Amino acid sequence: MAVAKAEDGLNRSAARKSFGMGEIVKRYGIYLFLVLAILVTTAISPAFVSGSNITNMLMQLAPLAVVVIGQTFVILVRGLDLSVASVMATAAVIATSFSGQDGAALTVLFASIAMGAATGLANGLLVTKRNVSPFLATLATMIVLQGFRFAATQGAPSGNVPPIFRLLGSGKFYGVPYNLMVMLVMAAIFAVLLHKAAFGRRVFITGGNPVTARLVGISADRVIIACYMICGGLAALAGLLLSGFVGVVDNFVGRGFELDSIVAAVMGGVALSGGRGTIPGALAGAAILVVLSNAVVMIGMPVQLQIIVKGVVIIVAASLYVRTAR
Amino acid sequence: MLSLSGISKSFPGVRALSEVSLDVRSGEIHALVGENGAGKSTLTRTIAGVHQPDEGTIRFDGRDIRWTSPGDAKKAGIHVIYQEFVLFPHLSVAENIYIGHERKTRFGLIDHKKAAADARELLARFGLDLDPKAMVSDLSVADQQMVEIAKALVHDVKLLILDEPTAVISGPEVDVLFKRLRALRDAGVAIIYISHRLEEIFALCDRVSVLKDGRYIGTRPVAEVDRNELISMMVGRSLVELFPPRRTLAADRPTVLEVSDLSVPGRVRNASMVLRAGEITGLAGMVGAGRSELAFAIFGALKKSGGSVFLDGKDISKTTPAEAIAAGIGLVTEDRKGQGLAMLLDIAANITASTLPTVTRYGLIDRNQENSIAEAEIANYRVACRGPSTGVLQMSGGNQQKVILARWARTSSRVLILDEPTRGVDVGAKTEIYRIIHELADSGIAVLMISSELPEIVGLSDRVYVMREGEIVGALETDEINEQAVIALATHQLAA
Repeated sequence: MAVAKAEDGLNRSAARKSFGMGEIVKRYGIYLFLVLAILVTTAISPAFVSGSNITNMLMQLAPLAVVVIGQTFVILVRGLDLSVASVMATAAVIATSFSGQDGAALTVLFASIAMGAATGLANGLLVTKRNVSPFLATLATMIVLQGFRFAATQGAPSGNVPPIFRLLGSGKFYGVPYNLMVMLVMAAIFAVLLHKAAFGRRVFITGGNPVTARLVGISADRVIIACYMICGGLAALAGLLLSGFVGVVDNFVGRGFELDSIVAAVMGGVALSGGRGTIPGALAGAAILVVLSNAVVMIGMPVQLQIIVKGVVIIVAASLYVRTAR
Repeated sequence: MLSLSGISKSFPGVRALSEVSLDVRSGEIHALVGENGAGKSTLTRTIAGVHQPDEGTIRFDGRDIRWTSPGDAKKAGIHVIYQEFVLFPHLSVAENIYIGHERKTRFGLIDHKKAAADARELLARFGLDLDPKAMVSDLSVADQQMVEIAKALVHDVKLLILDEPTAVISGPEVDVLFKRLRALRDAGVAIIYISHRLEEIFALCDRVSVLKDGRYIGTRPVAEVDRNELISMMVGRSLVELFPPRRTLAADRPTVLEVSDLSVPGRVRNASMVLRAGEITGLAGMVGAGRSELAFAIFGALKKSGGSVFLDGKDISKTTPAEAIAAGIGLVTEDRKGQGLAMLLDIAANITASTLPTVTRYGLIDRNQENSIAEAEIANYRVACRGPSTGVLQMSGGNQQKVILARWARTSSRVLILDEPTRGVDVGAKTEIYRIIHELADSGIAVLMISSELPEIVGLSDRVYVMREGEIVGALETDEINEQAVIALATHQLAA
């Protein structure tokens, strides 16, 4: 029998090799797709890879990518967070609510992240302790935050973003955007947390099967709440970066980021059913979204067509990925 | 009725079936046995049209046939009852029976009255005692199985294939199922019966065919074969004893766990038991008697409404699973995929899942240490795999179970609770799991083993508690343990 088992093992590794191509597509499909999108756009419009355009894209990528990192944690534990855009806008409003000078920068940073984490805490408590579906819970907190913003700003925010956020959001250091550096630091920290730390293992076990998690002594509720708090905190940070990027603050900074961040994560291989996905993959998903938005402009499509093409490409990418992931 | 000759089927890299020939006659119950991975499922799916054979021919009902889809096989009268039911819990029995062939009114709407009447007639014809209007979610698992069978009976069924039908039912329910199957057989239906439980084959079947490693080994009339011969056909070697020899117990076996008057609302009433160091305590009873719930309550995974649990004299009645683990209690659940394994992760992560802090330094997992732990356990438990990073999803039931045992053996310094430890595991892996259980008990752990397989309870236990309808109705000491005594307690029959 031992011999039979060994043969079985050999057969399996043979099967693995003959499936090499499929395996590569499954594991690296999203990266190949990203490279392909870049190559095709470059072929049509060489200006796409000009230095200034690349910098431009990276600066657009940074805030989205920071949100996507958080969204990934939430999706991994079978959730999703629709409140991220509202958290971003609220962080932007907080940024303008103090003196507008650099002296207020730390206060703004801490207040924003505390607000984001508190929103995440509310989301997490609703989802775990009250069994509210993530969709409804985060939709509700999104609306509540929006109400707070309207009340605080009397309709339109006024005041200035501290200059240091302007610098972080839109400045460059020897051609490298500061916001990209912030994003990379966050990506590194949270990739280690997810893929190397015990916390990350708990996230994967909980997302794969909350019942198993509980039975091996993991407090699934606490893990899920922590994921929502991470997501909220990162969304607040992204809101500050974005307000520094666009310079003007209104009540809807970050509009569309909730769906973009979910689309990016899912395109990047984070399964909506939970327990499966990586930070690098999700970031590649975010990069594809940015490349796509930029490409349709560079190619010179009329704006209506841009939106349609973007949607179609997302459908193609997502369905390709789902097929290979089976 | 059905005649297979020279059937071969390969999947990329694996030859699942190799020149299998098999005859099944109408009016017989034909057992199909073999270890996990022997090719029973592939053969079933080939007969049912899910797979097309690469070579060989299938003759059914006097015609050479080649199914192109499961629908073809169904039309011809072949039905398979899989282990997992394909029922809609929120629909009625009648609606489930006629799903896909709804009885319709003149206006194309569903005719619930006619469906209920037809269903009643159909159920009565085959002696199935079910209310067509009952909601499937309200039925017992055994009755749900009857609904599955009734679904097949809607069509003119000539060959019925049952895949491990008794994995989910026990005791009298099994007797009822057998009675129904015999009635179908006598009505001329050919039945292929797949099971791991050899007793059932002797009790029910007329002939038995054995598969091993995708090959056909042989067919014997059940009356002319004995248990040992069957096992040796299945595993290719003689297993004179399925169970390891009885252990000699240490003279001093202090009480480790004491449960008194424990209750779980609607499930367990005033259960009291004692587990001693180095003993294997069997917990017998029928499915639904409250055994798993009692185990979950001890482990802190289910709310108790009363009673207390003492571990080494310390009150742990209010424990959580995390605290129970820290105190040295382990629980191997019955539902491997739904509760036990982290299916998306690899062997190493599954083994360390309940002891994460021991492989964590400064919050980070020491993957090298984790791998070396996993390698040691893989060798110790003889897990067939490519290494610590093999995903558990692709492993056989027996190997998955060994991984879970390895995980819990690492946390259970005091008590290990095993809920149906050999469910869905092949004969070879079973004996190894029995050996592991013996070793764990020998090391001084108090083992509580829940099992619906009487030979397992009798063959392994040093003491036995029997549960019935939520209560512990009896305790048997070493020399009182036999199948009759356990059945008598579990079903409330007077011992003969």
